[in-house]
Amino acid sequence: MSKPTQEQIKILEQSRQRLVQLTRSLGSLISSLHSSDPLPPWSSLQSQASIISNNLLSVSEQLSEQRDLFTSLVAYPSPEYPGRTQAPTLEQLLRTKLDPRVEDWVARGRAAGSDNGPSQSTIPSPSRLVEAESADHKLSEAELAQLWEWAPLEANQEARRRNWGGNYTLEEREMGIENVVTGLKRQLEDDLGSDEESEEEDEDDGKEEMDIVGVHRKSVGGGLEFDIAVRHPHPVKPFVPLDDILKYMTTGRLQ
Amino acid sequence: MHEVLLFASVPAHQHYELLQQLAGLTAMQPRHCLERRLIFKAYRKPGLMAGRTGASQDIQSGDLQRLNKMLNGSMYYTQVVGPVTEKDFGAAIDSDMHMDGTDEKPEAYRYDYEHQPWRLEFRDIPEAGTRSAVTSRQMSSSSLPSGDVMPVMSAWGYNFVNEHVVEGDLFVHNEIVIFLQRVLQYPTDQEPSQPRQQMPPLKDMMPLEKSGSYVLQASITVQDGSNQETMKLASQHLFGLREQLKSVIRLEQADRLSLDTRAK
Repeated sequence: MSKPTQEQIKILEQSRQRLVQLTRSLGSLISSLHSSDPLPPWSSLQSQASIISNNLLSVSEQLSEQRDLFTSLVAYPSPEYPGRTQAPTLEQLLRTKLDPRVEDWVARGRAAGSDNGPSQSTIPSPSRLVEAESADHKLSEAELAQLWEWAPLEANQEARRRNWGGNYTLEEREMGIENVVTGLKRQLEDDLGSDEESEEEDEDDGKEEMDIVGVHRKSVGGGLEFDIAVRHPHPVKPFVPLDDILKYMTTGRLQ
Repeated sequence: MHEVLLFASVPAHQHYELLQQLAGLTAMQPRHCLERRLIFKAYRKPGLMAGRTGASQDIQSGDLQRLNKMLNGSMYYTQVVGPVTEKDFGAAIDSDMHMDGTDEKPEAYRYDYEHQPWRLEFRDIPEAGTRSAVTSRQMSSSSLPSGDVMPVMSAWGYNFVNEHVVEGDLFVHNEIVIFLQRVLQYPTDQEPSQPRQQMPPLKDMMPLEKSGSYVLQASITVQDGSNQETMKLASQHLFGLREQLKSVIRLEQADRLSLDTRAK
């Protein structure tokens, strides 16, 4: 058996780098999930997930590109290896079977993969539908029927999550509609207007809700002050400054 | 004695909530207080301290100047405070009833000015140049004879300036006295020359601050103001309270000149 060439060592080194990156980004995701309370915002979770998937992609590319090399490589200890002190590493390197835990993971991944395959093909998702159309491929009669069966249920479920019609969302109504800042000069009635109008206002309401959510997020730090501002829609600022009151209390005169 | 203080302005809409919050914080019900506060101002007794002109000798003038400065420089506004009750407002005067000689309503409550207890409260101008973010000033209180304070005060060289009523609720939190107060003015416009013998009904009293806002005063009285350690400890306790109330109200140091009690 010959020693690996410089080129081969470089390839191994590259794979190692990619694996290190993958473990690092996984570690940072885990730690951010564990340590931050409340959970990190979805945008940061998503960016971390995309980083991880990129890392996975590059690892798997590397593995498949260098498949020939990796399958032919054999690890064996050279006489200089400190077998006494580094025994666990040695065992890890020399084992021919996967770790039982890892074997579990692999089995689960395989099962998920084989489960997903057929299920995706049976339910035509909208994206697949678009793909099919763009490929100018007509759906079969059975597929169409399936799609029709699936769509109304799904649409209904989506619709049930919202309270349609009216000028206010459920959330706003629970907070009390008088507290909603519409930004409109006219008074909104809390019932259904004409179709066009309500549609327009639904959009408006959507915006309002966004606004309020924004304020809530900001107020996480500032807390109570914001609550007071909400509970008292017309706060009255004192007219006489504190200093003048104190002056009056001291000298009996407002000067 | 010294006192260290922090103040905050409390808007009217926040008053009730703050009462509840303070009751929770201090674990006590508020003690409602009504106080008459008479403001007196020291005046220079004409001719009393005038230095001898003419034949004065040079050796004495230094001493005389110092004495003059001491006596004339330390003139202050001072307050005479008398606790009253809600029943005292709008009640008939005792002496009036005697003059009428009619006792048709013997059970009717009367405001007895002749037996009104008073205490003299002296407050110095807050100390200048302290690095600490609290107001600290020298203070002392002593009780006065009940009844008419005018003879006593004018004998000491004080003129009556004005009077007002302070209404508020008192809390005690450890050694911090928290007083949520507002100033009520008497309904008449013209300034009286002496304290009132009779008080108008409480509902006729007008808050100085028309929007109905209150002033929160948190204070700690320190027996020995020259002891830096205790003064520092007192300020720290006030800062602790400020932190606790931070989300509700902003307690801060008062403007030194607004608490200036020196008579000019």
